[in-house]
Amino acid sequence: MGAPAISAAGLSKSYGSVQALRGLDLEVASGEVVGYLGPNGAGKTTTIRLLLGLIRPTAGRAEIFGLDCQREAVAAHRRLSYVAGEANLWPSLTGRETLNLLGRVAGRVDTAYRDELIDRFDLDPRKKVRAYSKGNRQKLLLIGALMARPDLLVLDEPTAGLDPLMEQAFRQCVHEARERGQAVFLSSHILSEVEALCDRVGILRDGVLVEMGSLAEMRHLSALTVEATFDGSVPDLSRVPGVSAVEVTGRVVRCQVRGSVEPLLKVLAASGVHELLSREPSLEELFLAHYGESRKAESVAGHAR
Amino acid sequence: MHADLALRAPARAGRYPAAVVAFRTARKAVRSGVLWGYVFGLTVASSALTYASTYKTPAQRANLAVTFGSNAGLAAINGPARQIQTVAGYTVWKSFMFLIVIGGVWGLLTATRLLRGEEDAGRWELLLAGQTTRRGATAQGLAGLAAGLATLWALTAVITVAVGRSAKVGIAAGPALFFSVALVAAAAMFLAAGAFTSQLAATRRQAAGYAGAALGVAYALRMVADSDPGLAWLRWASPLGWVEELQPLTGPRPLALLPIAGLTALLAGLAVYLAGRRDLGASLLPDRASARPSSLLRGPVGLAVRLARPAVLGWAAAIGALALLMGFIAKQAGTVLASSPGIERAMSRLGVRGGGAAEYLGLTFFMVSVLVALLVAGQVTAARSEEAEGRLEHLLVRPVPRWSWFAGRLALIAAVAVGSGLLAGFFAWVGAASQRSGVSLASLLAAGLNVVPPALCILGVGALAMGAWPRATTVATYSLLAWSFLIELGNGFFSSSHWLLDTSVFHQMAPAPAVSPDWVSAAGLTAIGVLAALLGGAVFGRRDLAGE
Repeated sequence: MGAPAISAAGLSKSYGSVQALRGLDLEVASGEVVGYLGPNGAGKTTTIRLLLGLIRPTAGRAEIFGLDCQREAVAAHRRLSYVAGEANLWPSLTGRETLNLLGRVAGRVDTAYRDELIDRFDLDPRKKVRAYSKGNRQKLLLIGALMARPDLLVLDEPTAGLDPLMEQAFRQCVHEARERGQAVFLSSHILSEVEALCDRVGILRDGVLVEMGSLAEMRHLSALTVEATFDGSVPDLSRVPGVSAVEVTGRVVRCQVRGSVEPLLKVLAASGVHELLSREPSLEELFLAHYGESRKAESVAGHAR
Repeated sequence: MHADLALRAPARAGRYPAAVVAFRTARKAVRSGVLWGYVFGLTVASSALTYASTYKTPAQRANLAVTFGSNAGLAAINGPARQIQTVAGYTVWKSFMFLIVIGGVWGLLTATRLLRGEEDAGRWELLLAGQTTRRGATAQGLAGLAAGLATLWALTAVITVAVGRSAKVGIAAGPALFFSVALVAAAAMFLAAGAFTSQLAATRRQAAGYAGAALGVAYALRMVADSDPGLAWLRWASPLGWVEELQPLTGPRPLALLPIAGLTALLAGLAVYLAGRRDLGASLLPDRASARPSSLLRGPVGLAVRLARPAVLGWAAAIGALALLMGFIAKQAGTVLASSPGIERAMSRLGVRGGGAAEYLGLTFFMVSVLVALLVAGQVTAARSEEAEGRLEHLLVRPVPRWSWFAGRLALIAAVAVGSGLLAGFFAWVGAASQRSGVSLASLLAAGLNVVPPALCILGVGALAMGAWPRATTVATYSLLAWSFLIELGNGFFSSSHWLLDTSVFHQMAPAPAVSPDWVSAAGLTAIGVLAALLGGAVFGRRDLAGE
């Protein structure tokens, strides 16, 4: 196996006194699909622009397939395609002309696949970019990136403006890319999209990667939601080790469990539980938990001042 | 009750939320009005002061009037020469026609940029979702443009009145104010014309093209009218002719303001009316929404050619037409040059002796060099906007090295500069040859090439700015151009200060074809441009891409 698709060590970027990215360590294996999550302004786009060599790091370094993102950018770019979140294309060119140009510049195009993609995304390539809607411009960028069949796809919120049908077509394309062994680095706001597509997920907050792992690993580390319905009186669960966020509604109790569930099960068994539901947290809950904690911490710090 | 409601209403962003389009437009229009107000004022000032210091005695002035007073060739360019034995008359003759054309171009470009350009960029959508309608927004846009026009006028007026108070010049405040109104009259009409074509066309560029064509027709009509006293009535067929008929400083005719105000109001009214008749982003004239694929788009340079083509062709047409016209009148206009001692003195300062077609062309090719430099500056700005608006990224994230994009773009602009210089030389020859003026093709092609080095110097400085201070690219490029232009206009006035003259990129340019080009200085200017461009390229390769 060759060099990883992406590897970054201590990658940092400051704009004056603002630290947009702080000491990012990241590795994406070739053939792996990795999701990159974070609230607005967390540093997702900064990371991607550093990987593409569009901006220069203030510290650290990054490589694409072992090629330095700054010094060997052109060689690195031969192996990747990028889709920007904002589709600023040349308004006077038609869709077909744009694809021809992007294909020529990329140096490689699977023309059969390109035509299939135009079909799948239901795009009329004869129109001028100026006449396209935002969604159609985004499709054009997606087709332009996918048709090169690169070893690495770098996608920065690629589905902004796509309707649900097209979102489905996009997911299909990412699945196919994975099957063909292409690596995908997907920055997104759409958690269901990341959950459906990605092998591993990184969560970025204020320029720091706070979480990185497979969804299974992340769920393991997180709280489980348990809902129990009792026949008789409701026991007090708040003192049980590992249990938090207890809510009682009539004879139904909902709580979160962290770590081992054994202490809770013992209490429940002794109290005549009638019905028991438990489920793993969704990515949304994981994300909100991370984001929410930081917001809470900030507001506490704000009050303390 | 009322207090209660006021408390519950959301905080208002500004004092007049319904006028936000007017304020936004006004801010940009006023900024532009300030810059061009200085250019207008200083052009008037330098014409007046240069005359006062060059032609000191009544005899010199009378001589000037005799030689230039009835020259049809010069009248076709500058308008009829009235009372040029006075400072006021000469100032009008020297600066008026030039400035009203500049004003017209400023008006149509500013209106189309701030109305159609803002709409195309999608910024109006946000505003229209607020407290205004399409008609309201256009009316507000026009109000903003009017603020820009008022600024242009005010600065022009202040400088003109101030210069008029100088004892050497001696123009009273009233006539000076009327002169400044006349100077911006064309700007007013073409602001309204730009607003009108912004409703007709589908893009900013098309809108500017339609209004520009109208300006070209108006200019051609007045030119024909001025070239023969028997055709003077034709002046009333051209909006620029109406402005001439105001005859500021020499024989004021305020009545000619009526058609000017009428046309301005009519076009502005039509713009507002039509804005309500169409959809946002749509055009009244049909737009080709699709096209056959172009074979040019093989790579970054092909793309640059494709993107620059419409603007370059428009400029080339203007440069070619001007050169043809200059060549056509060169023989006749040249005959008067030798017979005026004052003019001879001014010419000898430039190294030109004697009078004839070549000498006339040597003096007027300066205008060609300014146009070529403007074309180059526009292309530098266009290259920067590829980066600023994020389109460059689509190339640079593919295997395109930054230096190759940068070098390709600059080489293309340099080639355009050389091509338009040669084009000017060729068309000047066509015009001159048609009148058997005896100026050779070779010397005119050399004169065409001679205007290229100043443009290359501006190109290099623009490239350096784009590398090192990307957000200042436009300002740096146009400032150097405007500065150099003003220095050249005030040549006679600044002649004692050589270091000041040397800051103008045009100063080292020999007045070919009157004298043979100074290729050593030309090489020096080119070398400065190349060095600056190399430096700019080196920085560009190493910096972060920068948005707007």
